[in-house]
Amino acid sequence: MNRRAFTTMFASSAAILLLATAPSQAEPKVGAPAPAFSAVNSEGKTVKLSDFSGKTIVLEWTNDGCPYVRKHYGSGNMQALQKKWTDQGIVWLSVISSPPGEEGFADGARANSLTVERKASPTAVLLDPKQQVARAYGATVTPHMYIIKPDGTLAYAGGIDDKPTTRPADVKDAKNFVDAALAELKAGKPVSTPATRAYGCTVKYSS
Amino acid sequence: MVSDILSRALIACLCVFTLALASARAQDAADLAKVELLAEPAAIAPGEPFTVGIKLSMKEHWHTYWRNPGDSGEPTRVTWKLPRRFAAGDLQWPTPSLIRVGPAANFGYEGETILLARVTPPRDLKSGTTANLAADVAYLVCEKICIPGEASVSLSLPVSEAGASSPGNAVFDAARSKLPQTSPWNATFSADARAITLSLRSDALRGDTIRSATFFPHDNTLIDNAAPQVLRTEGQTTLVTIERSQIAKSMPPRIDGVLLLEEDIGGKTVPHAFAIEATPSAAFAAGEGGMNLFYAVISALLAGVILNFMPCVFPVLSIKILHLTEHRAETPRRVRLHGMAYALGIIASFTILAGVLQALRAGGAEIGWGFQLQSPLMVAALAFVLFALGLSLSGILTIGTSLTRVGDSRLLQRDGLSGSFFAGVLATVVATPCTAPFMGASIGFALVQPFAVGLMVFLALGLGLALPFMALAFAPGLQRLLPRPGRWMETLKQFLAFPVYATVAWLIWVLSFQVSPSGLLGALAALVLIAFAAWAFNLSLGLSNVSARAAKGMAAASIAGVVALVLVIDLNRLAGANVESAASKVPSEAFSQQKLDALLASGQPVFVNMTAAWCITCLVNERTALSTGAVREALAGKRIAYLKGDWTNRNPEITRLLEKFGRSGVPLYVLYRSGSEPVILPQILTQSLVLDALKQI
Repeated sequence: MNRRAFTTMFASSAAILLLATAPSQAEPKVGAPAPAFSAVNSEGKTVKLSDFSGKTIVLEWTNDGCPYVRKHYGSGNMQALQKKWTDQGIVWLSVISSPPGEEGFADGARANSLTVERKASPTAVLLDPKQQVARAYGATVTPHMYIIKPDGTLAYAGGIDDKPTTRPADVKDAKNFVDAALAELKAGKPVSTPATRAYGCTVKYSS
Repeated sequence: MVSDILSRALIACLCVFTLALASARAQDAADLAKVELLAEPAAIAPGEPFTVGIKLSMKEHWHTYWRNPGDSGEPTRVTWKLPRRFAAGDLQWPTPSLIRVGPAANFGYEGETILLARVTPPRDLKSGTTANLAADVAYLVCEKICIPGEASVSLSLPVSEAGASSPGNAVFDAARSKLPQTSPWNATFSADARAITLSLRSDALRGDTIRSATFFPHDNTLIDNAAPQVLRTEGQTTLVTIERSQIAKSMPPRIDGVLLLEEDIGGKTVPHAFAIEATPSAAFAAGEGGMNLFYAVISALLAGVILNFMPCVFPVLSIKILHLTEHRAETPRRVRLHGMAYALGIIASFTILAGVLQALRAGGAEIGWGFQLQSPLMVAALAFVLFALGLSLSGILTIGTSLTRVGDSRLLQRDGLSGSFFAGVLATVVATPCTAPFMGASIGFALVQPFAVGLMVFLALGLGLALPFMALAFAPGLQRLLPRPGRWMETLKQFLAFPVYATVAWLIWVLSFQVSPSGLLGALAALVLIAFAAWAFNLSLGLSNVSARAAKGMAAASIAGVVALVLVIDLNRLAGANVESAASKVPSEAFSQQKLDALLASGQPVFVNMTAAWCITCLVNERTALSTGAVREALAGKRIAYLKGDWTNRNPEITRLLEKFGRSGVPLYVLYRSGSEPVILPQILTQSLVLDALKQI
């Protein structure tokens, strides 16, 4: 084996080794403990993941300017989902990760008025203008949905349903993964579709 | 007062600002991405397919998406609205770019892109009419924010019998050049829980010229789109390791997508994209198929036993059994030793065979069991050995493993244990052309395992091969069942020659695919010489000194003739696909400096193409710009000689020519004309470029 080939192989093996051991910036693994976070909600209070231990938690990344988010809010789909499940005791956290100046940015006041306008019923709206929570969860788009089981492990990560369009008419016939997963968790069954490709507008990471 | 004005001004500003913001927000998608429908020909001919394109022109920094948009976004959707009985084919997507948005990755197009489609009009379309083609295009155009858009585009084309023969539509040629090419290499994939590895195998691919590789799968759920993809080469295999997404639970039966390779050409990095259809590699499929070591060993054992009854091995086994019959007077211990010597011969041969096979594969050769049959020399050698064995059985030649003469209970010197050992070796050698049920799967499994594991399977095969004879040697009860020696043994022995001859015939048939008719004649002549040598040698055994030597001399001469004929066979190999036959429909001659000088001296213009099988850019140029009918006509029409230099295995003449033009590598395209300086064409060719250059002659 000539020297060049050896160097190439060595370098690429090293690269592979590094790749294998490097912490992945991708989504957290379903079945693994959900990443901890701490964020300020729209009321100005600091909220931590551990505050809700023992409960089923839904994280919903939202951006009110995004056509995909509007599809679900405009059709009442998201609000219905929120009401149905918060009534059953799950914790629903909407997360706004847009930085100031970008589409979807909201301060506490605006977040609250949005909730009222949209007739939404999340347990809390988390303000994440530095995308810290988004990075921890590898959120790529809005809406990006995560479900955390009472024991703290991630049960679902992905899209809200299987029709990746902006057409409100597609909501009716779509298979809603979040609804299905929550129903399965309630019945004590394992989640049959634990990961799907999330669709929507990209989360506005400032870096 | 002032505060009044100020507050009003503030409100006004706010209103204007909000309005501006709102209007910017309600910015028409149409401003951000212009959609047009283009058609390649100026007129449609009835029944003749033509190409149309949906052109999307995005505002700076904005992009639309590929068929797999990546982590976010939506692919452009086209709904055709064509006249009745017009049929539109699938959209042809140009190679996408990787667009990073924070930690996410999208696949799409910035600037401008044209999605092509083939449209076939009905045959009975009336000339003189006009066809109205239309399409509804739904797209998502994004920068940081995304705006969905819809556009309806249309185009009218006249219908004329002759159609429109526009010699070339530059816009469409450029669009086609952006489509991924069909891959000339065999692509396979394997996967573990974390990553997928795509393998491209080719004798011709050289890893050190590829700078980077990016794979864009058609399937949205397959990979982690943003994760870096690692490129490495192992001998003649180029490997791309891609991290999986956690969405796809199991691997699909096939992975389709586009592989973008960047090749180093004389200091420049040139991108080339190929459409890949990867199938599971043998190792992966074997793993997936549930074959494990235990099952492989068992099936190898079974296969070995069955091999005994194949026409190649059966004669050898039968000879050993007849041997046993003859020597029933021997002590049981000696008989058992014979059995073990035979088994040892088989196992030793299988170990060596397995070792050779693994060593060759480790060196990058794409071979499997039966690899020996891929070499015409091996096939010929096997045919000769088997033919000699057949001659021995027929009685023309007597060698150590044959029976003694009928009725003669005298033992030949070489009937010792070494005889049994070499019988085992012979059995293995003659077993190689044959296959048995269960063999394929178990050997396929063995070859992709580490050597020690694979060896176990091969040894199991060997054991199976040895088993029937060993069983006989170790079971006196069975031996008693053997018939008593007699005349029938000679007849049986002669009869057994025929399955061996049948195998020889089959091997010659295999050889006929690997060598030209002259080579085949060489092999057949060699067989004749072997038969002659056998007869001469046998004759010499019964003759006195001088005549014996003469006869042996004739035998030796014949063997020498066989060796010479082996060289003839080797020289007459049928070449596999090479640079010449692969893509080119344009007649060319092989380059040599002498030929070039001669042609130039005669005043004929010459087009020289220096290429190599491992040069991707050369390959792409060949397919897109040099093998087309238009180029062929131009070369023929202007009587331009076409010389192709194959630099796959370095050629000093070609190297010198490259140096003359200040180049150290391929491709090099030079157009020589009498009376002026030679013109060097760029390293990345398009058909129009070549035609323009040829036009100047």
